[in-house]
Amino acid sequence: MTEDTTQRGRRQWPLPKLADPKAPLLRVEDLAVRFRMPNGSVKAVDGVSFGLDDGEALGIAGESGCGKTTTALSLVHLLPANGYIKRGRVELFGIDLVPKTETQIARYRWREISIVFQGAMNALNPVQRIGDQIAEPIEVRLGQPRESSRRRAGELLELVGIPKQRAGAYPHELSGGMRQRAIIAMSLACDPAIVIGDEPTTALDVMVQAQILQLLEQLRRDLGLSLILITHDLSVIAETCDRAMIMYAGRVAEEGPSRRLFTAPRHPYTQKLLSSFPNIRTDRRTLEVIPGMPPDLRKPPPGCRFAPRCPFAMPVCTEVVPPEVRFSDGVRVACHLYSDAEAPMAGAAGLKAAGETGA
Amino acid sequence: MTNRQDAPAVVADTELVPASVAPVIEPPGIEPGHELLRLEGLQVHFPIRGGFLDQVRRRARGYVRAVDGIDLAINKGEILGLVGESGSGKTTTGRVVVKLTHQTGGRIVFDGQDVTTLWGTGNLRAYRRRVQLIFQDPYETLNPKHTIAEFVGEPLEVNGIGTSRQDREQRILAALETAGLRPAADFAGRFPHELSGGQRQRVVIAGALVMGPDLVVADEPVSMLDVSIRTELLHLMLDLRRERGLTYLFITHDLSLAWVLADRIAVMYLGKIMEIGPAERVIRWPRNPYTQALVSVSPSPDPPAEGERAARTILVGETPDAAHIPPGCRFHPRCPLVFDRCRVDEPPLFDVGGGQQAACWLAEGGEIEPGPA
Repeated sequence: MTEDTTQRGRRQWPLPKLADPKAPLLRVEDLAVRFRMPNGSVKAVDGVSFGLDDGEALGIAGESGCGKTTTALSLVHLLPANGYIKRGRVELFGIDLVPKTETQIARYRWREISIVFQGAMNALNPVQRIGDQIAEPIEVRLGQPRESSRRRAGELLELVGIPKQRAGAYPHELSGGMRQRAIIAMSLACDPAIVIGDEPTTALDVMVQAQILQLLEQLRRDLGLSLILITHDLSVIAETCDRAMIMYAGRVAEEGPSRRLFTAPRHPYTQKLLSSFPNIRTDRRTLEVIPGMPPDLRKPPPGCRFAPRCPFAMPVCTEVVPPEVRFSDGVRVACHLYSDAEAPMAGAAGLKAAGETGA
Repeated sequence: MTNRQDAPAVVADTELVPASVAPVIEPPGIEPGHELLRLEGLQVHFPIRGGFLDQVRRRARGYVRAVDGIDLAINKGEILGLVGESGSGKTTTGRVVVKLTHQTGGRIVFDGQDVTTLWGTGNLRAYRRRVQLIFQDPYETLNPKHTIAEFVGEPLEVNGIGTSRQDREQRILAALETAGLRPAADFAGRFPHELSGGQRQRVVIAGALVMGPDLVVADEPVSMLDVSIRTELLHLMLDLRRERGLTYLFITHDLSLAWVLADRIAVMYLGKIMEIGPAERVIRWPRNPYTQALVSVSPSPDPPAEGERAARTILVGETPDAAHIPPGCRFHPRCPLVFDRCRVDEPPLFDVGGGQQAACWLAEGGEIEPGPA
């Protein structure tokens, strides 16, 4: 698609009124989310910062409960009723979304940020034709007449590889992969600035997953989409994302260009996570186990939250929260191993060699 | 519990390397001569009955050929990975082995005995003691109102195993301990909601172990779990094999899991085995174009190298419906290497050396180039 120099990236329509045209697309700073529970408050997300530029794909990875989905949901205020944003800023085009009211934020959903939820393909309305379901947000959100919404829905279906003649099909008439394509088409309906995919390929077969990842890749190339992919599957991020962010117990462990992060992981958690991932391109049965369990986020350990499970834990790790260290290759790491800038790579090099094998 | 004593749990730690298969080291525990399970031409065809009249007349409009004639053998102490996409018939195969689904053709031989027609008898009960099933979803398998001890102890009660309450309790605790839930007494009285996903799956494993089985059919046992918990359970399965000489039929859609766990891998597509052989060979030198495609798209956390993405074989479309299996080779409509013969004749499994077999006409004379390594 041709780039319009007077507009931002692929954007062909005006920015929100309050937007600063020079501001970055998305900037999240020191975001903290809590959940009220009967027996205390869960610090699900605690001081997470990251950014997303136009046309960029960011992958957020981590185990269940690390706060990756919560981070994404809080961007557009979709947290469950007992969740709230404790502090932090979420700036879209320089507009802070955190203080927005429910009516105000509704304007940003679908039109600026759309989310493909986990298992959304099973949440399609079974008694409505898929074409109509895709046309609905266009009609409701953008106030387009029904005819043109339908036409646009047909175009979107073609875009994701479903012949538009199938717009009249009901969800049960489509296979799992097709339904997932329809959901992606729906997320593109209002031409949002950012599409967030929460485990978009998790329930799919390998071959269908490969097809969907190929589709996302192609949409990024053709439309210049800005993507946030949330997944526990590191391989999906390695395949599709420019940058990767590894989260652990509500904090960012490591973030940077995915090629760097996956070939030379620095944070011990990233190293462990990668070496416990089954990989048919390496030797068999070299899988590592991360001992222990993630901490209880009602009372997280002081200092580094990974310290109780970390093979390199030092006394300082259990006391002081590790500061983020930035490296020249664009990776930032929150680990005490690197707070002494003199010997930044010592630990990483050793463990990398253990996890790496000549396939 | 009859044959357990006389069957040596662990064979000597010597490497039994068949001369033809250089890279594969046979792990301790496998008894190459001792065939534990053999499936011969196994078939499961589900009738499609349209309306009420069809139901009454027991007339079928057609058949879903879920499993369409497969031959498979597992040696004692071996882990056979049965890999396939949804609709490949891998789960149905597992269910037939544990006798939850009737086969419509073929034979099942377990430990030298024909168990094909073992239905509704005391013998079936004895068979099920030796063959246990682990399901995919630990959240659905456990009854939320039963304690862990009740879940694990239920099969003992049903089968009348154990002489007294104390004896049963001992067995329950021992099984929990073996499944890595320590201290077992702590877990016995708990309810499923008090456990994490990984612990639940350990309880499910304990429930299978308490009967002292020889063969465990594990249907996607770790698919629902996080990466780090997953590796713990895979290690547990390997430990149990070493300690107890367990044999596994490991059913999964994930080639990389079969790669790390299984000794041999069988790849299924639409009810047939497309390729079978030692894991090293099937992954490194796949000979069937379907396996080659699966290996090439199998996700890996290594970022793709330049040009690697282009070299990938992403098949178009999806697995056809098992009610309408294509004629000839069932993979031919999606095969990138299809030629005339594939559309007409179905290829049998050809021996391609090293204990590997591939169902492809190109494997007949060995013309297929080694796949992506």
